[in-house]
Amino acid sequence: MKNDKEKWARVRIIMVSCLFAFGFLAVAARSFYLQILEHDQLVKLAERQHHRTIPITPARGGIFDRTGAPLAVSLEMDSLYAEPKRITDPAGTAAALAPLVQLPQQELQRKLGSEKSFAWLARQLPPETAVKIKQMKLPGIGFVKENKRFYPNFEMASHVLGFTGMDPGGLEGLERRYDTTILGKTGYLLTERDALGRDVSIRSAVVQDAAPGKNLYLTLDKNIQYFTEKELAKAVEGSRAKSGMALVMDPWTGKVLAMANYPTFNPNSFRQYPTLNLRNRCVSDNFEPGSTFKVFLLSAAIEEKIVTPRDGINCENGRYSFGGRIIRDDHPHGRVSVAEVLKYSSNIGSAKIGLKLGDDRLHRYLKAFGFGDKSGVDLPGEASGGLRPVSRWYGTDIATISFGQGVSITALQLVAATSAVANGGLLMKPYLVERVTDSAGLELQRFEPQTVRRVISTQTAATISQMMEGVTQKGGTATNAAIDGFRVAGKTGTAQKVDPVSRGYSATKRTASFVGFVPAEKPLLTILVVIDEPTTSPYGGVVAAPAFREIAFNTLCYLKAAGVGKACELPKTQTVQAAPAQPAPTAKPQAAADAEEGGSIEVAGAGTPMPDFRGMSMRRVLQVMEKRQLNLQLRGSGRVIEQHPQPGQVIHGSDEIWVRLAPAV
Amino acid sequence: MIDRRLVTNFDWTLIGLVSAICLMGVLNIYSASAAYKLGGAPYYIKQLNWMAFGLLLSLVVASLDYHILEDFSYWFYGFLVLLLIAVLLVGKRSLGATRWLNLGFFTIQPSELMKIVIVITFARFFNNFHSVGGLTVKEMLIPLGLLALPTLLIMKQPDLGTATLVVMIAVSMAFFIGFRWATIVTFALVTVPLFWFTWAVYMKPYQKNRVLDFINPERSRLGSGYHIIQSKIAVGSGGFWGKGYVKGTQAQLRFLPEQHTDFAFSVFAEEWGFFGTLILILLYLCLILWGLNIARRCNDRLGGLLAVGVTAMLFWHAVINIGMVIGLFPVVGVPLPFFSYGGTSMITSMVGVGILQSISMRRFMF
Repeated sequence: MKNDKEKWARVRIIMVSCLFAFGFLAVAARSFYLQILEHDQLVKLAERQHHRTIPITPARGGIFDRTGAPLAVSLEMDSLYAEPKRITDPAGTAAALAPLVQLPQQELQRKLGSEKSFAWLARQLPPETAVKIKQMKLPGIGFVKENKRFYPNFEMASHVLGFTGMDPGGLEGLERRYDTTILGKTGYLLTERDALGRDVSIRSAVVQDAAPGKNLYLTLDKNIQYFTEKELAKAVEGSRAKSGMALVMDPWTGKVLAMANYPTFNPNSFRQYPTLNLRNRCVSDNFEPGSTFKVFLLSAAIEEKIVTPRDGINCENGRYSFGGRIIRDDHPHGRVSVAEVLKYSSNIGSAKIGLKLGDDRLHRYLKAFGFGDKSGVDLPGEASGGLRPVSRWYGTDIATISFGQGVSITALQLVAATSAVANGGLLMKPYLVERVTDSAGLELQRFEPQTVRRVISTQTAATISQMMEGVTQKGGTATNAAIDGFRVAGKTGTAQKVDPVSRGYSATKRTASFVGFVPAEKPLLTILVVIDEPTTSPYGGVVAAPAFREIAFNTLCYLKAAGVGKACELPKTQTVQAAPAQPAPTAKPQAAADAEEGGSIEVAGAGTPMPDFRGMSMRRVLQVMEKRQLNLQLRGSGRVIEQHPQPGQVIHGSDEIWVRLAPAV
Repeated sequence: MIDRRLVTNFDWTLIGLVSAICLMGVLNIYSASAAYKLGGAPYYIKQLNWMAFGLLLSLVVASLDYHILEDFSYWFYGFLVLLLIAVLLVGKRSLGATRWLNLGFFTIQPSELMKIVIVITFARFFNNFHSVGGLTVKEMLIPLGLLALPTLLIMKQPDLGTATLVVMIAVSMAFFIGFRWATIVTFALVTVPLFWFTWAVYMKPYQKNRVLDFINPERSRLGSGYHIIQSKIAVGSGGFWGKGYVKGTQAQLRFLPEQHTDFAFSVFAEEWGFFGTLILILLYLCLILWGLNIARRCNDRLGGLLAVGVTAMLFWHAVINIGMVIGLFPVVGVPLPFFSYGGTSMITSMVGVGILQSISMRRFMF
């Protein structure tokens, strides 16, 4: 009996033991689940809770022209922060800092005396100020390198480049389109905070360094861009127009060599400009092309063998009634050849050719030339133009579209379509970025020319090209575009603008344009100049063609095109031997050139003494330029070995200001 | 009274295991309270004092023959019930509950002592009560009454954690005696509808919410939910090897609630990882199994019952506390014996150890 009882008790003990052991096993299993299986996720939760990161602006990649000249750079600036917990004398520190950081002393003192472990005091301080503050050696005060965007050429190519905001993101232009490429990796300062949200410590100053972004090398050429902008400004102001656009393209590749808009803006201080100035009209604005469109009408008609250049067309002496509407020519003609229709820019002749061609075929060719579709250029905000489908062409539409009214296009579409005529019939996709390199300069990506489609045959293209040459020859509408020693093919445009109020065509407002290529037999450049609402003369041949000629001539000189001859007096500066990173600056410095043109643009920094740049690094020079708003020519790379004017000399409006840099030996 | 055999039979294993856990606890309390800014003696020093005092107390208890507990058991029981009533009448209110009794020079928490007293009371009751083939419903009526009186008083405070523990300890001991199947079925048949009725008819929505929050803390991300989530984050982020001593971010940045008392285990798990957790759990397992071994070796029924009761007390504390901090059980204020900071818990546990020691030393005397 007793034994049984004892045995019974023993069994119970074992049962209880098993039960209790099972309890611990469950607990251990749960620990395993949390600490091993759920570990990663819970670690993240933990970090999210107690880490506060303070982002550090990375260096955006640079933007350079095709020769390597800087168009947009990042400057390393010092940003000032405080670790209030380590500051024993907030009042004294605030008093010392207030005049330097331009903050009210009270606000500073409040920041410095707070419970936080980290507080920004001033972002992106001027270097001089930073040096002064560093020399004071205040406890609990530190600096972090941050990067600021700077455009060393100020207004140049501003619409293409775009700009960035205070945060490192690109807001417009290439800066926006390639933001993820240029941006770089944001660095972080890390602080820890406790359960009450108080910052506890800055664990280490920088946990992740900001990594610089990639560099862009553009198809743009700073010098061509410069000629283009200068001539465009002159043309717009000379004709007292509202605005203007100009484009230069390599017709064989679709590379945009220059893209200019006027009025313009300085991307370093873009906020001071009306938003209209910031628009890159070349890609974002639609306009009615007018007569330049006849090039594409004739391309279609000749390709389709509707007409030949020698066929006669009766131009009805300037007055032709069709479909209840009267079409007029400014300069009346009787019976002329098809080639002369283009040369004299006859609307009546064009309308008749258009009618022969028919809606469908005209529409098909215009589409093939890229009208009505976005070109796919690597810029944000591209417009597609307004080319209605044939089903919505009514009455006389076929006639007016034939001479470029009742249809809208972008400047970029026009220059690309003209390039297709220039290069023998291939529509090339326009583009601006040629290659992408890493911050060390290693090429990561190269963009090759892309053929969109063949639009017309080589023969047709040659025929049209010949006909377009007639335009700039004696008797044509654009003799102003002729250049000595070159054959120039082109077409003027003088489009009536739609009055937004009456919704009919305005009696006075015109869009004057000229598009062409040169040399006609083997084109190097396709150039378009569009002047919006000129007041001196409405005609493209008068207002736009001279600008075309100047841009073309200067660029041909610069490119040392065959046949430039003696007419091309290059500025002396070209003889300066520059380091490979910097192309031979053939252009006269902008300040000097503007002065010669009568000082239409205020010379930056004029009247102030020239700083002493000698021995400075490129970065430092850029910083001084930015601070002093000097438009300085940089030659070479490395450290400054020579400068003009000499230090301390007063900069005159006519002065050429430059520094020469050489790599440190 | 002190027999030489007592010294030779001294249970070093028991004291060794308890001391090991205590020292780990002190070490952990140092880390857990490292972030605190307090005047006075640091918690780990205080805990060392409590540990020394507790060990001494356990030796005093061990020196007494546990059979005298039988004689005093109902006196203890009666006295404690009176104290529990006194708490409800004149107790010290703190944190929304009335648990403490101010005795002038120090305060005591009678509910804590009830854990030991219920062990002694049940041991006494079942020692003189011989049932054949397991407890019947009728036989359970007296022990149920003995249990219900203090439990209800404790729940009234309210102190759900302690009440639960008292019930778990008593039920464990009753199970050790053994139930008839019919008894188990009857209890199930009575309690389940009772709970359902209370839930469906009697309780108001806010009370239901409280109960649901209690069962599933993650329902409310603040309050108890916040605590349990923080605790899980701390434990889980420790990984296998832990973050290192005094390097646990969650503990050092004070994301953990009650991190030197009820959530001390989280701190330990974060800093020592699964590796440390496993060692600590194994130590508790050894202690529990050793306690049951003492019950097995003991030659009389009273000793066995006492040993099982004390062991059950330690087991339920450990499992409920660890289970709570790793999100297995609802959050109830249950300390981890020997490990959490706190004098009351240390004293109760050490008295239990003293009883175990007393039984272990006298295993050859009867």
